[in-house]
Amino acid sequence: MSNLTGSRQPRPPYGTGPPSRAAVPTRRAPYGRPPVPVGAASRHTQVSRYRRRRLQWLVPWMFVAPALILFLYFKILPLAQGVQMSFYDVRPYLGDRYVGGGNYVEATTQPLFTQAIWQTIILAVGTTAGSILLGFLLAILVEGQARHLWLVRTAAFLPVVTTMAVVAEVWQVMYYPDRSGALNTLLGWIGVGPEPFLQSPHQALASVVAVGIWRGAPYDMMIFLAGLATVDRNLYESAAVDGASRWSRFLHVTLPSLRPVITILFLLAALRGLRSFTEVFLLTNGGPGQSTQVIMVLIYKLGLEQGKLGVAAAGSMILFVATAAVTLAVHVWRRRAVVR
Amino acid sequence: MRRAQNESLHTVLGLQARNGPLALILKTLLYGGIILVFAGPLLALLAGAFSKVPDPTKFSLWPHDFTLGNFEVAAHRGVYRYLFNSFVVVGFGLLLQMVVSVFASYALARKKFRGAAIVMLLVLATMMLPEEVVAIPLSVVLSDLPLLHVNLIGTYLGMILPLGAWGFSIIVMTEFMREVPLSLEEAARIDGAGELRVFWSVVLPVCRPALGVIGVFGFTMIWDQYLLPLIVAHEPSQFTLPIALRTLRTDDQVGIGVLLAAALLALLPSVIAFLLFQRQFTRGLSVEAVGR
Amino acid sequence: MVIQRVAALASAALLGAVLTGCSSTSMLNVPQDDHAELQIWIREPPGSNQAAVADKLVKAFVRKTGYRARSVALYEDFETKMQQQAAYRQLPDVVINDTAQLGTMQSQGWVRQIDRSSFPGGADLSDRAWHAAQADDGNYYAVPFSAHTFALFVRADWRARLGLPPPKTWADVQNMAIAFATRDPDGDGRKDTYGMVIPGSTKRGYMAWYYSNLLLDSGGDFLAEIHPGQWVPAINDDKAIAAATWLKNLFCQYHVVDPNAVQDDTPLAHTTFEKGIGGIYLTGPYMLPRFVKSMGSARLEVFPLPAAPGAAGPSALGEGENVYLTMGSPNRAGQLAFAEFATSVAGQTIAMDGDGGGLIVRLPVNTKVDLGAIHHDPRWSVFQQVYNTAKYTPQVPNWAPFRQLAADTLNAVMADCGSDLKGSLDKLANQFTDELKRQNVYGG
Repeated sequence: MSNLTGSRQPRPPYGTGPPSRAAVPTRRAPYGRPPVPVGAASRHTQVSRYRRRRLQWLVPWMFVAPALILFLYFKILPLAQGVQMSFYDVRPYLGDRYVGGGNYVEATTQPLFTQAIWQTIILAVGTTAGSILLGFLLAILVEGQARHLWLVRTAAFLPVVTTMAVVAEVWQVMYYPDRSGALNTLLGWIGVGPEPFLQSPHQALASVVAVGIWRGAPYDMMIFLAGLATVDRNLYESAAVDGASRWSRFLHVTLPSLRPVITILFLLAALRGLRSFTEVFLLTNGGPGQSTQVIMVLIYKLGLEQGKLGVAAAGSMILFVATAAVTLAVHVWRRRAVVR
Repeated sequence: MRRAQNESLHTVLGLQARNGPLALILKTLLYGGIILVFAGPLLALLAGAFSKVPDPTKFSLWPHDFTLGNFEVAAHRGVYRYLFNSFVVVGFGLLLQMVVSVFASYALARKKFRGAAIVMLLVLATMMLPEEVVAIPLSVVLSDLPLLHVNLIGTYLGMILPLGAWGFSIIVMTEFMREVPLSLEEAARIDGAGELRVFWSVVLPVCRPALGVIGVFGFTMIWDQYLLPLIVAHEPSQFTLPIALRTLRTDDQVGIGVLLAAALLALLPSVIAFLLFQRQFTRGLSVEAVGR
Repeated sequence: MVIQRVAALASAALLGAVLTGCSSTSMLNVPQDDHAELQIWIREPPGSNQAAVADKLVKAFVRKTGYRARSVALYEDFETKMQQQAAYRQLPDVVINDTAQLGTMQSQGWVRQIDRSSFPGGADLSDRAWHAAQADDGNYYAVPFSAHTFALFVRADWRARLGLPPPKTWADVQNMAIAFATRDPDGDGRKDTYGMVIPGSTKRGYMAWYYSNLLLDSGGDFLAEIHPGQWVPAINDDKAIAAATWLKNLFCQYHVVDPNAVQDDTPLAHTTFEKGIGGIYLTGPYMLPRFVKSMGSARLEVFPLPAAPGAAGPSALGEGENVYLTMGSPNRAGQLAFAEFATSVAGQTIAMDGDGGGLIVRLPVNTKVDLGAIHHDPRWSVFQQVYNTAKYTPQVPNWAPFRQLAADTLNAVMADCGSDLKGSLDKLANQFTDELKRQNVYGG
């Protein structure tokens, strides 16, 4: 599969299916016995087949059952419980009090709610756009088959598999605001800084975005590489025959072929960005001031630090509905785009 | 034949085709820079973990005053116990997740049945549900499973079972299974193979690459878990490594070297998993890129 | 088609709501069992010396009384775990936690009321400490366990090298900070030192916590109680503004605060002080053993925070830990017995850990305990002296939101030198008013 990332073979143009699927038909081996003629079936097997058919409807459910049970218990039930909590002043030891939409009002009138929404959007868009741009740049720089490129790609991909808890520790140290900090030392060489990074309300959000890009760009890079592998090399060739420059080849062949990939990447990342929690929670916990406060962290603080479980549940539901709405809208939009 | 000669046509930039001394230097600088930016901080983590009292403010790629002392202190703080917990959770959690997903995907991809759409919708809907949102309600459910009335708080089972419900794996697996040619299955059925047999020896073997994909992605997901183990753990001895990291950071009595040592232990398994299963990772990403 | 699916989903959700059932408080009337093991939680890092001392205390209790008990140390995410265990009514039987948590825990109905007059040995516990176990309704909801307050740790060697006087006024403190930042107190020829070390992050409200010492020392407070149980904000009055301005000048005008301050929690601040990055650190007596061990006794001195200009006398933030006995325990007799043991001379002595580094009682609440006999370091007495004029945080039903709001505001003011201090505090006062109204204790 390494030819996915560094293509030497021309690939079928995008649209005939992903390479992973193309690999399937070649693995026919496991079942090779010749088919038995239908007419040769005995009476006995006909009966059992009849019985089997009657229970046939059960079969798929048997296969789905484990998943259904787990989803019901650990996703749907908690969600239902969350919905219920969002209408109550939750006091497990005193008895819950029904408050109607009160929690929703309190959640949305939080002095920081609007600010948190904006910052969530900035964080989501910044990280997404940055990752895609940098990821794309990286992808076209490290595209190819050579062994050293494999090394570069592997090294660059490490941040993606690094646990967020570790990423946070590493970057806390990288961003140390004093002149002796790692990044500030680098900046010092070019005569800038020292910068406060996470310490400054003006730089903290950008610093969190930068960490997001550091972790997101290699991911996008890999996806672009996979996408680039599907670009029809014959098109390059004919472009070369036509005497097109590298730049116009890039503009007129590569980019259009990648457009679907870019769209998907953008949507996925944007949705992920809406609910970003761990990176902010571990890096700045919303501060300094409120400068990196995002929705999920705000909800977490409301619920678990201030003990307003009902209000937090209401905030969560708003976020859930918003995410679902965006996803649904995107889905409809994409389907329409395909039809067109 | 011409293609093979004209390498510049194989990549967008055609960078590899240029091999002059200047180009070589430029390329070395460029690739060195990329490696430094993305792997540098992690290498520095490695260096710090083996350094005696590394300055929290300075980062270096080589350990000064090499020591294993950080790991000894970390051991006293129970880091290996946390690591063990992490392994148990990731091991069984992943197994459960894969088995459950494969079964469900088989039905969703290969069977037409009433309600399939609803099941699919349910799976998709839960994918939009951030786990932080349901953390508290989930802990309530876990403390007293409805109908069964079992308390899973403070048990490995409580950490593992919820991991079985993972939409991403089902979606990926379903996509993949849909592509398995029907002829394979029919041939087996005509041969008299039962449902399980078809599943086990016809469809599953063909899907082995996809198993790799959901395996590695599931691994990273579970290894990254923070909130679920936190709410299920009843006391610190049940924590997993990521939670322990945060506790160590605020522990008065250990230095940053110990923290980095623990962070390194948290980092290594995922890096090793990545290096071992790199192909599956890449394939999974391409499914994401062009699959749906 | 879509509508059908949505309906199906909705009914699944409804089914869920039915299954999970409705909560009732009757579950708190648990059958009693003297042999039920008590879970005792303490907010200390797991594996730390403090955790070990807590374990020693609990084991001594088990030996002495025959009840079964187990200690659990938790630090990060302590509140998260509490809230979550409370959500399904399985709080630990005993919780040793900040006095400031009293309102939060009491207003959520988590803790048992304590009858001070009949509590065994209650008369030996100091009034000031008992006060911190009293909620705004006048009743006691905890037993005091430990008390402490804050004083200035100063680098003695730095002060000696620069020939600075012991701080007697705020101006002295400020001048010392400036000298530490500018006159190379460590003599290494490099400008790598700062005056103040401040844990100024918003986490757990650290910034508000630090500032409250200055605020109380100035004679101000976050809230003013105009009638019993009726509060108004006081965070934007002249005293509060003066205290905040003084602090902001250290950050922004003189640049003498360690650069990581607005992001630091206390563990990081401790390290910063130990490494000699800053020379003045306002913190509690519990740090004394560790600093003595890591920095050397001769390099450390402790001074009371001097009285602020114009204030009647010095003050500082009074804090401590209470023993909270939770509702719904199957072993109420055991809970009380533990509280009694923990506050007895024997229990307090174990928890003070002599000159070891794992003390969980800072200043003893039991007046029969002789501090000097247990801690031989005379610097401890500075704290006991400061404690006599210390003030606790306002006893509103739930202090946590106020502390968080204040920390968020002050952190932003200190982090952004262009910020409008007066305007920010006015805004904070409005937020306080809203929160007071929400808690039904607004007196305006």
